[in-house]
Amino acid sequence: MAQPLVKKDDDHDDELEYSPFMGIEKGAVLQEARVFNDAQVDPRRCSQVITKLLYLLNQGESFTKVEATEVFFSVTKLFQSKDTGLRRMVYLIIKELSPSSDEVIIVTSSLMKDMNSKIDMYRANAIRVLCRIIDGTLLTQIERYLKQAIVDKNPVVSSAALVSGLHLLRTNPEIVKRWSNEVQEGIQSRSALVQFHALALLHQIRQNDRLAVSKLVGGLTRGSVRSPLAQCLLIRYTSQVIRDMANHGQSGERPFYEFLESCLRHKAEMVILEAARAITELDGVTSRELTPAITVLQLFLSSPRPVLRFAAVRTLNKVAMTHPMAVTNCNIDMESLISDQNRSIATLAITTLLKTGNESSVERLMKQITNFMSDIADEFKIVVVEAIRSLCVKFPLKYRSLMTFLSNILREEGGFEYKRAIVDSIVTIIRDIPDAKESGLLHLCEFIEDCEFTYLSTQILHFLGIEGPNTSDPSKYIRYIYNRVHLENATVRAAAVSTLAKFGFMVESLKPRITILLKRCIYDSDDEVRDRATLFLSVLGGDGTVDTDQETKDFLFGSLEVPLVNLETSLKNYEPSEEAFDVNSVSREVKSQPLAEKKAQGKKPTGLGAPPAAPASGFDGYEKLLSSIPEFAAFGKVFKSSPPVELTEPETEYAVNVVKHIYDSHVVLQYNCTNTVPEQLLERVNVIVDASEAEEFNEVTSKALNSLPYDKPGQAFVVFKKPAGVPAVGKFSNTLTFVVKEVDPSTGEADADDDGVEDEYQLEDLEVVAGDYMVKVGVSNFRNAWESMDEEDERVDEYGLGQRDSLGEAVNAVTDLLGMQICEGTETIPTNARSHTCLLSGVYIGNVKVLVRAQFGMDSSKDIAMKLTVRAEDVSVADAIHEIVACG
Amino acid sequence: MILAVLFANSVGNVLIERFNGVPAEERLHWRTFLVKLGADNLKGVKNEELLVACHKSVYIVYTMLGDVSIFLVGKDEYDELALAETIYIITAAVKDVCGKPPTERVFLDKYGRICLCLDEIVWNGLLENTDKDRIKRLIRLKPPSEV
Repeated sequence: MAQPLVKKDDDHDDELEYSPFMGIEKGAVLQEARVFNDAQVDPRRCSQVITKLLYLLNQGESFTKVEATEVFFSVTKLFQSKDTGLRRMVYLIIKELSPSSDEVIIVTSSLMKDMNSKIDMYRANAIRVLCRIIDGTLLTQIERYLKQAIVDKNPVVSSAALVSGLHLLRTNPEIVKRWSNEVQEGIQSRSALVQFHALALLHQIRQNDRLAVSKLVGGLTRGSVRSPLAQCLLIRYTSQVIRDMANHGQSGERPFYEFLESCLRHKAEMVILEAARAITELDGVTSRELTPAITVLQLFLSSPRPVLRFAAVRTLNKVAMTHPMAVTNCNIDMESLISDQNRSIATLAITTLLKTGNESSVERLMKQITNFMSDIADEFKIVVVEAIRSLCVKFPLKYRSLMTFLSNILREEGGFEYKRAIVDSIVTIIRDIPDAKESGLLHLCEFIEDCEFTYLSTQILHFLGIEGPNTSDPSKYIRYIYNRVHLENATVRAAAVSTLAKFGFMVESLKPRITILLKRCIYDSDDEVRDRATLFLSVLGGDGTVDTDQETKDFLFGSLEVPLVNLETSLKNYEPSEEAFDVNSVSREVKSQPLAEKKAQGKKPTGLGAPPAAPASGFDGYEKLLSSIPEFAAFGKVFKSSPPVELTEPETEYAVNVVKHIYDSHVVLQYNCTNTVPEQLLERVNVIVDASEAEEFNEVTSKALNSLPYDKPGQAFVVFKKPAGVPAVGKFSNTLTFVVKEVDPSTGEADADDDGVEDEYQLEDLEVVAGDYMVKVGVSNFRNAWESMDEEDERVDEYGLGQRDSLGEAVNAVTDLLGMQICEGTETIPTNARSHTCLLSGVYIGNVKVLVRAQFGMDSSKDIAMKLTVRAEDVSVADAIHEIVACG
Repeated sequence: MILAVLFANSVGNVLIERFNGVPAEERLHWRTFLVKLGADNLKGVKNEELLVACHKSVYIVYTMLGDVSIFLVGKDEYDELALAETIYIITAAVKDVCGKPPTERVFLDKYGRICLCLDEIVWNGLLENTDKDRIKRLIRLKPPSEV
């Protein structure tokens, strides 16, 4: 019905022909604006023209630089008129025209005159206009007046100055910060609005000074705040102070909680809601603290005002994520909101219910949601689908009704993101709930029969190839897969060919028939489809010996085993030569991600998504560097390179850190050295390593650094031999030896006759620990990986970890010790948790896959106990892991 | 920050739009989004009944006043509650200027004064004045009655 973007004047609706702006045209209005230059100003006429200019600007019309300048100059002439109505319009149009800095000068004198006028309202408006158009230099000139204005007895003038301060703080913070005394006075003002603006500005000025903010809040929570708006601000600042205090270890009774609670009885609804929200967001909020807040929020759920209902349900939705039990009392009110006319409210209500509902209410809830889904937008539907996925994982017994629901909505209309969310959910359910597998796969098969998204079709085909052959009757999926070969585009056809091959290989009885189907594909019009068909036909036609079987299986089902990013980097580093690229030379280590990237990534991957790809890091550089040194070529492939370990304090003359490169039977220590003294040149830089506390290590060779000029880092290497495949540990003490020569800092060159002086420099000790023999390698589905390992070889033991400040500290200590990848987001521990399970995976030296389940529990005296369950491809490695923990 | 204030007529044509801190290239998106939101939900809504929505991390509060629909978009401290407060002042001021919930014609007749009211209420994305009687005086450059 709506026709956005059609300008008013383009409209020919009969009813609108009376519009005062009918047929308005920029050129004509600009002509009319010449009336501003008349010797005898006609205020009424001028106001009308300004209104037209405003109309054009408010419609998104823009003036060229020349036009705007011309209008601006004409407008400034109107300051001659004493007509107040016109003056008010002039103030507005100057702000709207936002003149450039070189034009501002024309109008500043008039505005400065107005700013000191006896007429209060001239002062207020002149301040607002000036602050909008001036720059820093001019601001220092008028700063005195602005400070006066803040404490003006007229609240309008005072507010104008304060709000200007809020804007100017962004561009000229150092000037505005000087006004804090006046602003402080504003907080005491009897005018509610002045107090509101002063509070906002003072907080912004002092936001980085924790003590000052705490003092401000402390004073105001005892005194009287005059407007609900200011009260809301105060509540926000108070919660920030509470958070800061908790972060800085102040314990005992939570400060200011009483104030927040008293705000729940305020007469203004916005204050009550703000306080309730603040309480629910307190760190480690207890159920006693939560209860009064939840009670008032529940009352708002049945408010006749949609905004209040929305605010309440939005807050409860957040609470439900961390404290679902606290919200269950509101479930009845929440259910009635499912039929709320406002769809945002209904969606929030449903997703909250999905989090708080119990097993018995699932069916009833699903019935209600089914009616609701048809009339909401895709973005809301995705939220609901994600909530259903977590519900299904929570209540596996209810998978039938949830799966039925998902398959029904999969058949309905919807965009790509929505369909992907549903498919991801079904895949997650199939992976997590074995009983749901067969029905889930059939739903996916039906979906690809009529799927318009190539991406989803190929993903589902790939998934079918992995899961389908292990079902009770794999043959029933073949029809769906082979149909793709006839009906779809080349990408999907190629995926279908690969999937068929997987069935053929895994299900012996299907092999002859699959071979026939694949033979038909070798006449496909697309290269890739033909190539795949030919390749798989030859694979399937193998002689069936055990070895070939294993190879084929690896080929068809094996994952790439190397992170894609590492493969990409290695391929880029590979220079075409006689020697073919060897995929085994690619590092398998998953690089840890910087925290910021983790945050940006947000949710953990679910469904079809592979484990997150790691960004490139220094490792790739090491690979290139090591491969360039011929002495190291015989050592084979690097198993792992550690992150750099600092061996010097920061800001010493020589900065040295070391990277441990672990090979199967060697360890290469790479010393990265930097000379920070401009007057020195170091030569023959070497590191003398004393390995008397590392019995299993024997030094084989070392590689000195010939020259180390100022601020140009270089590397020295020391190589140790160790027993092959053994995770030997030990301690090494290091001394840097070198010849130092003096350098003329102006030329940067050393004296040619100077032989230099030998010197040495003591470095910190270095340890090779068990964690160095573990590579962080994630698994996409921990449960599947865990179950695929033999339970017989499981090793379980319990350990006491002593007193710790928090569970998190214990978890970090253990994961650091083992050097393994944390899976499925189990590094996040809910605040106040008394127990936690951490899932870890990695590859131990000798390419042995290891999975660990570490269950932590904390008693009232903060003593932490840990049950460690280890499964590994080699049982001796499982024992070794326990040994590491026992010794650590 | 109040990111946008937008007035549209009953068929979705923009009457006034003011953006704060929204890049020029995103304005078209917002304009289209808001007008569609109104078309989908404002039919048959009573005068001044507030509707609310959220889109990504911003909040939208909107309503109908006579023939005119009014939309406010805010983020951070301007959540649904603060926006509701602001839109309440805007509707009160517009009614005051027009004498009643306006038809489109009346709204356009009083266009200049409505712009002035808006200038007093929201300044560069911050709420400045909240009292309609005071606003009524301020747009005529009269000091507030309590002074």
